[in-house]
Amino acid sequence: MADPWVLIVDDEKEFASTLAERLNLRNMEAVAVYCAEDALSLIHTVDHVPDVVLLDLKMPNIDGLQALEAIKQYDPSIEVIMLTGHGDKNIVEGISNMILAYIIKPVDLKELIKKINGAIEKRRAALSGADQGRIP
Amino acid sequence: MILNKLEKTLPIKNIPRPDQDAAEKPPIYPRYRYFRRTLVLIMLAVTLTPLIVTVTLSFYQYGNLLRSEVRNHIRWNAQSTQKTVSFFLNEIVAGLSYYASEYTCEQLTDPLTLGPIFVRLKKKNPGLVDLSLVDQNGFQKTYAGPYNLVGRDYSKSDWFPMAISHEIFISHAFLGFRDIPHFVITVSKRTPNMGVCGLLKASIDSETIDKFIAATKTEASDDIFLINNTGNLQTTSRFYGKAVSQSFPLANLPNRGDVTLETFKDKTSSEPELRAYAYIENTPWILVLVKKGYTYGKSWSLFKNQMHVIVITSIVLVTLVVFRVANVLVERVRQGDAAREVILAEAEHTSKLASIGRLAAGVAHEINNPLAIIDQKAGLMQDLMEMSDDFHYKAKFHEQITGVQNAVSRCKVITHRLLGFARRMDVTPEPVMVNELLREVLAFLDKEILYRNIRLELNLHENLPTIQSDRGQLQQVFLNIINNAIDALETEGMVRISTSRQEKFLRVDITDNGCGIPPETMKHIFEPFFTTKANKEHKGTGLGLSITYGLVNKLGGTISVDSTVGQGTTFTVLLPIG
Repeated sequence: MADPWVLIVDDEKEFASTLAERLNLRNMEAVAVYCAEDALSLIHTVDHVPDVVLLDLKMPNIDGLQALEAIKQYDPSIEVIMLTGHGDKNIVEGISNMILAYIIKPVDLKELIKKINGAIEKRRAALSGADQGRIP
Repeated sequence: MILNKLEKTLPIKNIPRPDQDAAEKPPIYPRYRYFRRTLVLIMLAVTLTPLIVTVTLSFYQYGNLLRSEVRNHIRWNAQSTQKTVSFFLNEIVAGLSYYASEYTCEQLTDPLTLGPIFVRLKKKNPGLVDLSLVDQNGFQKTYAGPYNLVGRDYSKSDWFPMAISHEIFISHAFLGFRDIPHFVITVSKRTPNMGVCGLLKASIDSETIDKFIAATKTEASDDIFLINNTGNLQTTSRFYGKAVSQSFPLANLPNRGDVTLETFKDKTSSEPELRAYAYIENTPWILVLVKKGYTYGKSWSLFKNQMHVIVITSIVLVTLVVFRVANVLVERVRQGDAAREVILAEAEHTSKLASIGRLAAGVAHEINNPLAIIDQKAGLMQDLMEMSDDFHYKAKFHEQITGVQNAVSRCKVITHRLLGFARRMDVTPEPVMVNELLREVLAFLDKEILYRNIRLELNLHENLPTIQSDRGQLQQVFLNIINNAIDALETEGMVRISTSRQEKFLRVDITDNGCGIPPETMKHIFEPFFTTKANKEHKGTGLGLSITYGLVNKLGGTISVDSTVGQGTTFTVLLPIG
């Protein structure tokens, strides 16, 4: 079974790259991009889409909500965990059925890994019984 | 620290401290005093002006009426006296004229003829003193009467020249030979060839006229007498003295014809007198009537007294009613204003809190991002260190990194609390665990509690149901009450917070062992702008408890307070379950 494929999208470069590095150390295939545009183009070009996208809510140009919409439109099976420095419950409640979870920064890594593993399980369970789609 | 600073900016400290130097009444602002004064003045003017105008007019009209009545009465009195005197004189003149025409000069010169004539005349006019015949030289030729006056010479008397030149003549009063005030009436006795052979002269004492006049006197006058045109008294006056010997101070001669009225006031008397003058026709006399107390008669005093009673009673009643009405109106307006200001203040307070909330959220968000970076960097260092072989200081490095991570965790708690505060602005009901909420609120106050050395007793019922309520507003409510309790405490104070279930309500009791609230103050503590902190270091707005009261009501609950001076105070909040 392949390592979990995690895409981190956050305009805070230091945060995103460090988090990616830490996840890589934990046997995950984590890639950090620093804007939603890069994330979307990456998803469109790669052979197989990420299992989980960690998406920052507040970003320049295309923000987390717009990116979420685009990702879900492209492939609804991609699990998204929202990262936010903002505790705005109203926003998160509005999209709660589209995302797996939301985590307020600073991120507790153990909690995050638990959520990523949960997402992987959910996704694999969903994919195993259905159309294999784009997964080679 | 941020939290502490934030707390300072919130008005939660500004809760009235009712148990310190109690202000007994809600403050009356100058604008209400001004409003009340204006109201009272306008109402008094509107009500009292017509009253005063009516009373003044009544006084004036009734005074006029009374005066006109007095004038009419004295006029009638004068006219009737004038007629009586004239009638009396005319009768004597008629008698004298009759005998003068019926008898010859020679017959009248005879005492035997004159005597019986005198007797007849005297019978008709008892006031007649004597009757005599005076010849054209003033020599009294014949005399009938009680005195022996035959041969008297009247040629030098004042009246004689006038009498001799007039058919009928009535003299001034004078003392004469007898030294008694009297006057004479003469009728010329003519010879057949129209020469004057003498005067038929009758003497009448002034006293006789006095009696006539006295008989005609009514209540319309106080004094009635005759004077001549120089003011010399012809009859005796009650106020001015005896006939002939004294005079009446006549300023101007009255007009001939009808009765002349005159008001007279001298410097010594307090009230003016009314005088009536009337000429007695064919005599040198002027009839004078004097009425003292012209304006201040009995009817006038009675009327005046009644009016005074009515006016004073009306003014007192009107003033009382006006003050009462003004007080009630001003109180209503004040209450209305206060209610409006509470709503405004509450709105302002809420909007201020909302701004602070937005600010807090912004700050938390901005800090959370660099915190996340530090956290991840430290984490990565930790990860890398665990993967590497042992090296010198590895343990030391590990310790340092853990220190950084702990610091980050502390910051995280603070920023999460800030975000929690921002969320308090939400007005939507949500499930609230009251015990948990109370612990959160106490977390805001733990520094203060520690610093003030306050003993905190928590007596929380563990199996309380979750209630549907507004978290933020409930936090505000308990923050206000607990802060209020803390402010009431001296050192070594105690605050006890208990929760329990009471039928369909969840009950929270917050008790302090502070100085307590006097009963007079208790009545006002939930009133807006009521504060006992006016002179204290922390000047209160007087809104804290009233906002608390409003919030609890809004959330469907009730708040009550129970206090004993010297023992402490308990605030009880009941919140509906479900």
